[in-house]
Amino acid sequence: MQTEYFIVLAVCAAAPLVLSFSKKMDFYKYPSRLIYTILIPFVIFTVWDYFVTARGHWSFNPSYTVGFKILGLPIEEILFFIIIPFCGLFTWESVKYFTRGKDTE
Amino acid sequence: MKEYTILAFGSAAVAVLFDYFLRTKLLVNKKFWIFWAVMFVLIFIVNGYLTWRPIVQYGEEYYLGIRLFTIPIEDFIYGFSLLTMNISLWEYFSRKFKNKFPS
Repeated sequence: MQTEYFIVLAVCAAAPLVLSFSKKMDFYKYPSRLIYTILIPFVIFTVWDYFVTARGHWSFNPSYTVGFKILGLPIEEILFFIIIPFCGLFTWESVKYFTRGKDTE
Repeated sequence: MKEYTILAFGSAAVAVLFDYFLRTKLLVNKKFWIFWAVMFVLIFIVNGYLTWRPIVQYGEEYYLGIRLFTIPIEDFIYGFSLLTMNISLWEYFSRKFKNKFPS
């Protein structure tokens, strides 16, 4: 199924996206914080991906990707660098929420 | 040459430099390692699926060839780099914006 990589990303994003609007965390309080935080590694990892995909470090199975490409990379791979950091940041904020009041050291 | 292996460890070093220069002190923060325990499980499921199908295939000459389940060990270092940079930047900007717009 060509939409499979897409579905994997959608499954990853679903719960974090819904729960990130919870009033228990201030996830969207500073929109530029979220944008800068995702954008800087996005540029680093997309450039990296562009060169090494061309070189053959890894490849994407055409059976499981929709076939739309930007700079030789499947659209899913570009979205990966937005969605996975988003999920990671949400997980980080959740860990901080559930361990609030506890020592960090 | 094992270029992916070299790049993965190189980027992990860069991520550690982010933490150092942005003064986010993640590596000595217990919560950061709790976060990684959770992420390890999530990465194992998602990356495990991607490499098991396989949706992503690897050039044999560029990585060590050691896999945990179906996941090349380099992928864990790669994931560490990406998310450590994210969290370091997030904490840095959180501090910056909270000082700028105290509420």
